[in-house]
Amino acid sequence: MIGLSQLGRRTWVVTAVALIVLLVANAILQHNFLEPSVVQSNLTTFLPLVLVAIGQTYVILGGDIDLSVGAIVALTNVVTVTVIAALGGDGTAVTLGLLAGVGVGVGCGLINGLIIAGLRFQPIVTTFATSIVFSGLALWVLPQAGLPVPEPYWRTYAGSVLGIPTVYVIYLVAFLLAAFLAARPFMTRLKAVGGQRTAAFQTGVDIGKLRVSAFVLSGLFGAFSSLCLTGETASGDPLMGQTLAMSAISAVVLGGTALAGGVGGALGSVLGAWVVGMIGSVIFFAGLPFEYQTLVQGLIILAALAGGVLVTRR
Amino acid sequence: MQPVLRASDISKSFGAVRALDKARLTVERGEIHALLGANGCGKSTLCKIIAGTVGRDSGEVAIDGEVAALGSPRLAEEQGVALFYQELSLVPQLSVGENIFLGREPRTALGFTDRAAILHETEALIARVATVAGKGFTPEARVADLSPDQRQLAEILKVLARKPKVIIFDEATATLDRRQVEVFFDILRELRSEGISSIFISHRMDEVFAIADRITVMRNGQTVAEFAASETDRYAVVYAMVGETGAIAASVRDHKPLEDNIRLVVDRVRAARLGPVSFTARRGEILGLGGLQGQGQKALLSGLFGAEPFLAGRVSLDGVDVTARRPADAMAHRIAYVSGDRARDSALPGRSIFENTAIASLVRERRHVIPGALFRERFAEVLTGLNTRYAGLDAPIGSLSGGNQQKVFISRWLSPAPGLLLLDDPTKGIDLGAKGDFYLLARKLADEGATVIIYSSEDSELLSLCDRLLVLNGGAVTADLSGDRLTPFELTQASYGDAA
Repeated sequence: MIGLSQLGRRTWVVTAVALIVLLVANAILQHNFLEPSVVQSNLTTFLPLVLVAIGQTYVILGGDIDLSVGAIVALTNVVTVTVIAALGGDGTAVTLGLLAGVGVGVGCGLINGLIIAGLRFQPIVTTFATSIVFSGLALWVLPQAGLPVPEPYWRTYAGSVLGIPTVYVIYLVAFLLAAFLAARPFMTRLKAVGGQRTAAFQTGVDIGKLRVSAFVLSGLFGAFSSLCLTGETASGDPLMGQTLAMSAISAVVLGGTALAGGVGGALGSVLGAWVVGMIGSVIFFAGLPFEYQTLVQGLIILAALAGGVLVTRR
Repeated sequence: MQPVLRASDISKSFGAVRALDKARLTVERGEIHALLGANGCGKSTLCKIIAGTVGRDSGEVAIDGEVAALGSPRLAEEQGVALFYQELSLVPQLSVGENIFLGREPRTALGFTDRAAILHETEALIARVATVAGKGFTPEARVADLSPDQRQLAEILKVLARKPKVIIFDEATATLDRRQVEVFFDILRELRSEGISSIFISHRMDEVFAIADRITVMRNGQTVAEFAASETDRYAVVYAMVGETGAIAASVRDHKPLEDNIRLVVDRVRAARLGPVSFTARRGEILGLGGLQGQGQKALLSGLFGAEPFLAGRVSLDGVDVTARRPADAMAHRIAYVSGDRARDSALPGRSIFENTAIASLVRERRHVIPGALFRERFAEVLTGLNTRYAGLDAPIGSLSGGNQQKVFISRWLSPAPGLLLLDDPTKGIDLGAKGDFYLLARKLADEGATVIIYSSEDSELLSLCDRLLVLNGGAVTADLSGDRLTPFELTQASYGDAA
C-alpha cells in the first residue's frame, strides 16, 4: 500500500540516508560530535533553517514559492530589537517586541498571499519583489547592525525552561504545530490546491484562502526563525538571514516535497534542513579553505537533489 | 409519477449567439437518459445550466416537482444534481478517499480530519461497485497509481458520496476503450437499480442504444425529439439530429479493387509495448488499426511519426528509408500525423487559426518567417474545402468547436498533400457532421495516392472507412482483415483473442 505511494516518499528516504552518512562523517571529523552539549549547539545552529523550512513547506505544497522569507527574517529582527529598545528593555518590552516581530512575519506573509492569490500575480516574481521591499523596510527601520537585546532574552534562549533546554522546547512546539496542521483537513486541501488546482476548484475548495494561509504560515515561521536568530546574535541586523530562503527551499525539496506542489510534508523538510546544516558543518570541520566552502556546499546539495530525483524517477 | 428533473423553456444567449432556445428536458426517476445532438446544438450548455455552472436567461428547472434555484454548482449539488467531470476533479497526488471527501472531510470532535471515517465510508462506496473496481482500488490508493477506468470510477464515487438524484455524464466515455465502456455501463445500471437517474451525453450511437432508456435529441438550441429507446432506431435518431439537410457518411468505402502497389514497408519495428510488427500498405489504401484500446496502436502510429521512435526495425516509403528519430524526419518525407487528443497533441492554444495551420509548413519548408499572403490564400482554400466554419483566419483556435478545430489541425498537412497520413483516433469527441467530412477527406486523399493509417476507438468507424484492418492484441498483429472478412464479428473475435 505504502509501496505504491512512490514519489516524495523515496526522496525522503534518500535524505534520511544522507543524514546518517553526514552524522557518521561528522562523528569522525569532530571527535566530540555526539556529546550532549555539542548536539545541542548544532541543533541550535540549525533551528532557524528548520523553522523557515517548515513554513516554506506549506507554500510549496500549495504550488507556490516564497523567496521573501529571508527578508521577513531581517525585518522581524530589526522591528523586534527596535521595539524592545524603544520600550526600555524590561520584561514587558521584550514581550511586546516578540509580539511585534510575530506580527511583522504574519503581516508580510499576508501581503504576499493577498497579492499572489488575490491579484493572481506570479509567486516567484512577487515574492522576489516583496523581498526587496521588506529588505528596504528593514534598512529603513535599522540602517546599521547593532542595538543589542537585553540580557534575559538571549540568556533564556541559551538556557532552559523547566529544566529542558529552550531550543528543544522550541523544536517541540514547532513539531506539535506541524503535526496539528498535518492532521487538519487544511493539509489535504492544500495538497489538492498544489496538486491539481482545477480539480480543487471544481470540488469547491477555497483556493484563495488556502494559498493566503500558506503564505501567512511561511511568514509566521519566518518570524519564529528570526526571533531564534536574534537570541543567538543578541542584536539587530538588517542583513540577517539573506541565504535562508534558498537554503530552506533546498531543505524542503530534499525533504521530499515536490517543488510542483501536492506531495510532501513538514517532517521531511526538518530532515532536509538538518542535512543542509550538516553539510555546512562537515565542510567546516574537514578544514576546507573558506573560499571553497560555499562552492562545495552548493555541489553537495545539488548532488543530494539529483540523488532524490533519480530515485524518484526510477 | 413525478419526473425527478424537468427543465422547461430554457433559453440562453452568449453575446449574439443563441445557444438555447426554449430547450426542455424531462428525466424520470431511475432512468438512463441519453441527450444527443451535433456539436454546438446546445446540449452541453443545457447540462451546465442544470448543474449550476452556467446561468440561464429564462426558463425554469424543477427537481421532484419543485422549482429549483441553481445559482452555483454547490446549490445544484445540494438539490441533488451532480455533474460528472471527466477526471478533472481528481487530484492525482491524493488517495481515493481523500479525493472523494475533499472539501467535505468528516472531522473528529477536535476538528482533525477523521481518517477512520473516510476509510470506512470510502470502503462502503467501493463495496457498491465491487464487481467492477478491479485490483488495487482501495481507499488509500493514490489516484495517480490507478488505471484510467479506476480513475473514472473514483470520480463516480466522488459524485455518489454527495448522494445525488441525477448525475450528468458529459461525454464520459469519450476517452474510454470498449472494455472500460462496459464497466462504465455496469455502473450506470447499478445506479439505475438504486433509483438514481443519469443524463448521458455521447457521440457514439452504439453506446446510446446499448444503455439508454430514453433519448432526447437537440438541434440548434431546441429540443426536437424525445424517444423511448426501445421504440426507435438509430436512423430515426440520426434523422432528428441532423434534420433534412444533414449528410451522414455511413459508408464512403468504394469497392474498386486496389492496385497491388505496395509503397509502405514496416519491417519488424519494436517499441516498449509493441512488436515486433511487420506489415505493408498500398498506395491509395486506408489501413485501419483495430483491437481493444492500448494494444500498441498508438505506439505504432507515434513510432511511425517519430514522436516516440521505435527501438528497432525499419520503415520505408516508396523505397526510401523513413525510419523517423523525431517528427521532423517524418515530416521531411511527407508523413503527417493527426491526433484525437487535440489539446495535448495539436493545439497551439491561444494562437490564431492561421498560426495553427501554418506551423507544419514552416517546419517542413524550413521557413523562419511566415509568408503571409501566400500562406493565407493557401490555407483559406484548404479550410473552405473541408467545410470548416470559422469567423476568420485570425480568430483564436479556441473559438472553434471540436470538429472545426480538428479540420484546422488536419489542414496543416494538406498542402502539399501527405504521402502517408497517420490518424490517431481523429474523430474523438467531434460531431457527426464533421466526422462525415473527415471520412470523405480521408477517402479523397487516399484516392489521390496517399496511404492512410487510422486507429479508432470506434469499431463502426474502422469498419465503414477502412479497406483493410490490422487487429492488434498485446502489441502484436493478430489478424489482417479485408474484403469479406471485414465484419464486426471478425473484428471482435480478433480483438478479444487468446493473447488478451
